[in-house]
Order: sequence, then structure tokens, then C-alpha cells
Amino acid sequence: MEKEQVSVQEEKMDSESIEFRAVINNKPIHLSIHPVTPLVELLRTELQLTGTKISCGIGRCGACSVLMDGRLVNACLIMAFQANGKNIETIENLSEPGIHPIQQAMLMEGGFQCGYCTPGMVMAIKALGDETPAPTDEQILEALSGNLCRCTGYAGIIRAVKRCYHD
Amino acid sequence: MLAAIEGKGRIRPDGLSKVTGSLKYLTDLSFEGMLYGKVLRSEHPHARITSIHTEKAQQLKGVAAVITHEDIPGLNGFGLIFPDQPVLCDTIVRYTGDAIAAVAAETEEIAEQALSLIEVGYEPLAVVDDPEKALLPHSPKLHPDGNLLHQTSYIQGDIEHAFHCCCFLVEETYELPRQMHAYMETEGGVVVPEENGGITVFMGTQHGYKDRFQLSRILDIPEERIRVISSPMGGSFGGKDELNVQPHASLLALKTGRPVKIHQTREESLRAGLKRHPMKITMKTGIDEQGLLLAHQVRILADTGAYSSLGPAVLDFAVEHAAGPYLIPHVKTEGFSVFTNNGVSGEFRGFGGNQVTFALESQMDRLAELIDLSPLEIRKRNVRRAEDRGPMGQRIAPANGAADVLESIDRHKDEIEKAAQPADSATWIKRGTGMALTMHGGGLGYGRLDGSGGRLEFSREGKIEVYFGFEECGQGLLSVIETIVTDELQCAPSDMVIVIGDTARVPHTGSSTASRATSMVWNALQRMKGEFSSLILQLASDVSGISVHELKLGEGGIWKTYADETLPFIHYRDLAENVFSDPITVSTIFDFPTTPDPVPGGHFLYAFAAVLAEVEVNLLTGKITVTRLDQAVAAGPVISRLGYLGQIEGGGVMALGYTLMEDAAMEEGLYIPRNFDSYLIPTIKDVPLEMNVEAIEDLYDGDIYGPRGVGEIGTVAAAPAITKAIHSAMGHWITKLPVSPEEILSAVNERGLLSWKRNK
Repeated sequence: MEKEQVSVQEEKMDSESIEFRAVINNKPIHLSIHPVTPLVELLRTELQLTGTKISCGIGRCGACSVLMDGRLVNACLIMAFQANGKNIETIENLSEPGIHPIQQAMLMEGGFQCGYCTPGMVMAIKALGDETPAPTDEQILEALSGNLCRCTGYAGIIRAVKRCYHD
Repeated sequence: MLAAIEGKGRIRPDGLSKVTGSLKYLTDLSFEGMLYGKVLRSEHPHARITSIHTEKAQQLKGVAAVITHEDIPGLNGFGLIFPDQPVLCDTIVRYTGDAIAAVAAETEEIAEQALSLIEVGYEPLAVVDDPEKALLPHSPKLHPDGNLLHQTSYIQGDIEHAFHCCCFLVEETYELPRQMHAYMETEGGVVVPEENGGITVFMGTQHGYKDRFQLSRILDIPEERIRVISSPMGGSFGGKDELNVQPHASLLALKTGRPVKIHQTREESLRAGLKRHPMKITMKTGIDEQGLLLAHQVRILADTGAYSSLGPAVLDFAVEHAAGPYLIPHVKTEGFSVFTNNGVSGEFRGFGGNQVTFALESQMDRLAELIDLSPLEIRKRNVRRAEDRGPMGQRIAPANGAADVLESIDRHKDEIEKAAQPADSATWIKRGTGMALTMHGGGLGYGRLDGSGGRLEFSREGKIEVYFGFEECGQGLLSVIETIVTDELQCAPSDMVIVIGDTARVPHTGSSTASRATSMVWNALQRMKGEFSSLILQLASDVSGISVHELKLGEGGIWKTYADETLPFIHYRDLAENVFSDPITVSTIFDFPTTPDPVPGGHFLYAFAAVLAEVEVNLLTGKITVTRLDQAVAAGPVISRLGYLGQIEGGGVMALGYTLMEDAAMEEGLYIPRNFDSYLIPTIKDVPLEMNVEAIEDLYDGDIYGPRGVGEIGTVAAAPAITKAIHSAMGHWITKLPVSPEEILSAVNERGLLSWKRNK
């Protein structure tokens, strides 16, 4: 009895799937997916783009930061229907064709340790530089204040941003 | 201020894969036919389980298995010291992280829905939420032997008599919070069932073999059939050393015959995961008329939560370090680690040292004020010298580190000793500085199994393969191994293959904890390099007919010692073609060095640090801003410059969070915070724009132990330096962490630090 009810509900859910079309890392993507699937799940599970991480799930840590139409967003807070028709860029695209200067600076300055916050952090640094090519200290702190890092104490990250945008 | 560390700045081996996002963490893995697991945790901090009904959950479409305590073939318990934490509870739950059932389903959503269909009947029991109360005779007993997990003490001299001889006494009680590790990658991974009835466990831990041992006991299958792949991790800081969801995923994988992934949400992690021990520490400390310490009495009460984990060892460490780097003739330290229905406390970077160091250093500053000495001067008068005994009277490896780091701070004496000053023009902002000192033991200590080792192989592909049973949590171990091996064998990074964190391939080298791995890798290489080089050179000699004395290992292959050539004489790859029997293998087994004196848990190798902090106190908002957090560290030679720097800077900021914002507070056994919206860790806006680290690399004459690990030392002494800076700014002594803005504001009012009248 219980099982039957549940399966009916599930079919209903299936019928509510949307045709999801977006450009992700310059590739057209077409999926049939439930409209409130979080973008982070769509990326990580459906597309196996696991460079985008999940840590808090409520938009407080920035580990899932990606660019949507050029703007930095937390992929855990964006639902599939909101990402529909958009241009999404994840960490996987940043090193194509070669390693990005931000990534090089992070390597040189020790801007990461465990690396789990790093993809999101790198995307946030990119968003900063896209908007503000020579950021002030205050602009750096503001731009990265939504990305938590537990390992570095941010010292290496600050050095990396300065190296990347000022040297 | 402190000079930046000089040294090698090589890019770490895992760097490229981390900055490009291509590194697959164990929670990123997917397998064909994989199911998703979820664990049902207790609704109550303390209750009797009256019933568990899983039928409805089992009937849900998409559910492959539901397990309870009845599904555990072996021991229903885990724990690094005593296995007293149930994998799945049967009769009693003792905290809200206790697991009762687990589900494997086709999707995470179905698993989640299935959890909601499991019906558990509870009969709530009285909640023991305070360690003081837990020790009262009428308190409910949480475990068969009562609520006292562990009691220990250290006594020297005659404390009562000595107090009579003191000119100044300070007695104070300090309260330390329940800090969360907050590794960015929450616990999890995948368990894959194998054809031989065994499993492969892809889940992070700080000691793969220990997980294998514990899982074998739970699953009742031989250790040889369990393979633990434990690396890399997105942070651990001690928090993933104990088992977490490995048993549940393993049971589900074995039951379903399919790979099972569990990746805890942040809420699940906060609720079930380990924390730093909250401690209440009372210290009574006295000095003579010269400011020399005479007597030090300490009582430590640790809230170890519902289960043992490493609670006894953490308490031992706190008791050992209660007198820190000071020479005190009369000491009496007593420690109690007590069960409650709060979250489980356990291993966390600093291991009990952070708590006692906060109390001890706060005492030193209070005494300095009483006798009108500077914080620096009172420490200089009392600090241990290189050949003095350790804090429990045990012989230790001589080290001048405590005096060395103080000397580093001494160079900034003028900055420390200045009184409170208004910052710039804003009269409502006060500025102050503070310093603190600490010493911190590495390794597990006297009387503990603390074996290590390593293995080198020259493979058929011509690679120098390096095997250690350690894990990369983020600390930079791979970089340490690469640097030490290339230094010792003169080969290039591209000549090597490093293998860690896989019980099918690595030797037993002990845990990646206790600041021990760097030290053990260096020591292993000292033991292996001679024999390994000789064997390879002998092979090269046999092949070429040139004497071994004219050959040496180098980048890319074997070089002639006398020739000024630009390429190796034989490439490793070509040389390997001449290995016809077993590959050349050299291995070593040894123990972490310990003190010769039988002091249980007592350490032998110590690292030292001094911290200089500066804060701005906003008298209007009560907000504290740390504007400077510089550290001098004496831990032997720096192996990896960026790794060392990162450990100290990152450790300092973790301690900044401990001091000013972090507390996984509980009320009647329930966590108040749930996630990063209510448990705050430092953001980039909370840290000084620049932190300076000075590494004092000298070892004492004749020291044969090499570099000490620095994984913990940077996190130990920052808190008291920051709170002393607050005191310097506004005259208010802190006794409880984290420092709340409310406390600052109330101190501002009491002291009349703000005047609302103009031109007064």
C-alpha cells in the first residue's frame, strides 16, 4: 500500500521534470531534470563535474562557487530552473587551454592546503579580477568574504591574489 | 616584523590537481551501480530505545537495504581506545549523534525519505549535560563504570607548603569552548564490495590501518580482506582520525552487494562529529619576590561527551602540558575527563594543549601585572633551558626552542610593552598587544604503540617508489616526502612515485597525527638511503663495469662522480631493464623516539612557539579585530617552506576563531548551531592582512632527530596572546572563550571607558 502511494508520487515528480538547456563550460547541455535540483548536484552528479564542491549546502561557505552568466553564484542555492538557459562556467573550464594565472599564483604562494575550498576560491578570485582588474585590499577582502577556507588562514590566498593582480 | 621564512618554495605534488579542480576526493567518487547511504541519528540526547520499526522504509521504492544493530556481524562498537560507541544503538542512545539505523537507496533523496519512515520509540532519560553534575553521586550513570572516563595527575614537590612561600598568587578558573574542526570536506566516501567477500573503503581517515582493524572487528571479516584507501582528504585536523560513517557504508555495501556512498551534510557532520574538548581549568599559581614561579596547582575538568574516543589521551596531554615551558618546583595537576550526553569530544589539532596553554599563559600575564614585570620579562625569568627536564620531570631531547622563540619576540619588545593606545583618530577604538609562549610534544608519548617506518623500491619502470602509510589531509605531507626524498637521494621529483594512504600497498608507519609524519619520513629516509643507494649503484656498476665509487644517484639516473656531464650516465628507466629478479626494495621499521623515563604518555620531542598579537577593540560595538598575529616557531629545519608557513598561519587563524567566535554550544544535550550560518569560522575579513612567521631551524648540538612536525604548534598559543592584547587595550582580563562582544561592552561600561560627554 505504502509502496504504491510512493511510486505514484514519484511518477508525478517525473512528469514535472523540465527540459534543461544550458551552456556549461562552452558545451551545450540538454537534460531532463527536476526543476528544483540544485545546480551543484546537477554539476557533480549528472555531469560528473566534481571540481565544484559541496560543504555547507546553504550558501555560507562558497565551496560550490561557479560563474553564471559571468556572475559569481553559490551553486547550492541555484536551482535547475534558475540555471536554465544560462551560461555556466566551472573550475574545469578555467585551465582550458592552459593553467590560469590565478591558479599559477595559488601554486606559487601556497594559497591552498587541503584544496577543497580552492575551486570555489579560484572562481571567486576570477570574478573579482573580471570586474576589478587591480583590486584594493578592501576589494579583495570583500570579494572573497563569502568563501571559507579552514586550512590557510587566508594568508596564502591574499598573497596569491596580490601576486596575480599586482605583480 | 618577523622575517619571512627562507627556504625551498617548490610547488607541491598535489598542487596542480587541486587548483584545477581535477583531484578526485574520496567523496567525489562514483561507481557503477552505486547506492547512496544515509544514517538515522537519535532524536534525544539520552533515551532508552523501546522499539525500532524499519518495515515502511524497506518497502519504499528505491530502497535497497535498511540496517539496524541486528545487522552487525561482529562487535557493535568503535573507538580508538575503548570501543564503547555503538555503530548502531540497540538499547540506549547517549547523544544526538548516536546512529540507530542506516539506509541505502538509489538516490540520496530516497534514502532521506526512507529515514523519515523509520519509527523509533524512545523513553527519554534524564540528560547529563554538565561534567560537574555528571560527577555527583546521584547523576545517572551513562556507562557501566560511571561517568568518570579518565582521571590522572602529576605531582612534584610540596604544593601546600610552597604556596605559603609565595609573594604573589593568582587563582582563576578558565572556560574553553567546544570547537568544531570544520574541515571543508565533510566525512564520507564510498565502500565497494569485492568478490572475495571483502570490501574496499574509500574514506578519509588519519590512520588507514587503524580503520581496517576497527572495521574488521565490526564486520567480522579478516583485516586482509579490507582495503582502506584513506587519502586525500579535504581537511581533518584530528576530526577524521576516529571512525565516522565507514562502518555504516561498509555494512550496507556488504548487505546489498553494491557500492555505497555516504557523504554527510554539514548538519549531519556537526551533529555527529567530534569536537575539541570543552574544559574548565582552575589554576592557582604563585611566584616569589623575584617573579620566579614557585607553585602551580591545576585542576582540569574535560567534557568528553558520550563516548571515549581519544578522551583519555587528550586529558593526559593536557595534564602533561599544564606547566608548559616553565620551571616550577612545586606542581600539582589533576585532570578529570567526564562522560556527558553532549557531543563526543576527541582528537583535535593541539590535543588538549590549547586549553591548558590558554589558562597557563593567562596566569603568567596576571602574575606579571601583580609584580610589575612585563609579560616578556616574567617568561624569560622562568623559561626552561635547553637541557632541563620535560614538564613531567622526564628527560627530553635537549632543545633551546623556548628561549629562542622568546628571543625572537624580544626583538619587538617596545611594541609589546606599550600601553593601550587609541588607534588613529577614533577614540572609541583601543589598541593593545599581547604575547604567549608554548611547548608542544610530538608523537603519541611514552608507553603508547607508536611504530613507524617506510619503504623504498626501484620499480621495473625505473621509478623510485616511496611508500608510507600516511595520509594527505591538506597538511602538505606529499610535499614533505618529495622534498626529503629528493634531498636525500638527489633524484628529481619526476623520478619518484609516492604511494600513501592505501592499506593494500603501504607499510605500517603509524598515524598521520600528533605532528609526527614529517619527523617519521625524515627518520625513515636516514635509515633507508644508504642501503637503497648502494643497491642501485651496485646494479649500475654490474651493468656498466664502472666501480660503484665512481657512480652516484642523481636527477634522471646514475651519474659519474668525476665527469662534468649534463646528462646521467644511465637513465633510471634503462637501468631498470637490468633488474631480472625482484625489484630492489629497502624498508625500515622503528618507533617514534620516547623518553627513557617511565612517564606514561610523556613526550620526548617538543616544538616551541611564541605568538605576538595585536588587537583593536571597538568600545562601541564590542568587536575585536586582530590586526597582527605573528609567530616564532622552533621545530628544527624547515622541509617545505610553503607547507610550514601554511601550517603556522592557518593554525593561528584557527586559534583566532577559537578565541573570538567559535563555540558549538549545547543546551540540554542539543547543539545550538546547525551549520556555517550559526557556527562561524573566520572569513578573510577576520584575519590580519599579513602574518609573519619566523622559523628557528637550529637543533641543539648533537640532536639526531631532525625536523619536528608543525601541524599543531601554530594553533596552541595564539588564544592567550590575543586575550592579553585585549587586556592591554582595555584592562579587562578574559577567562572564557570565545570572547563575546557582550562581555567587552559590559567591561567597557564597568570601567567607564567611554564617555558620552563632549570635551570632558
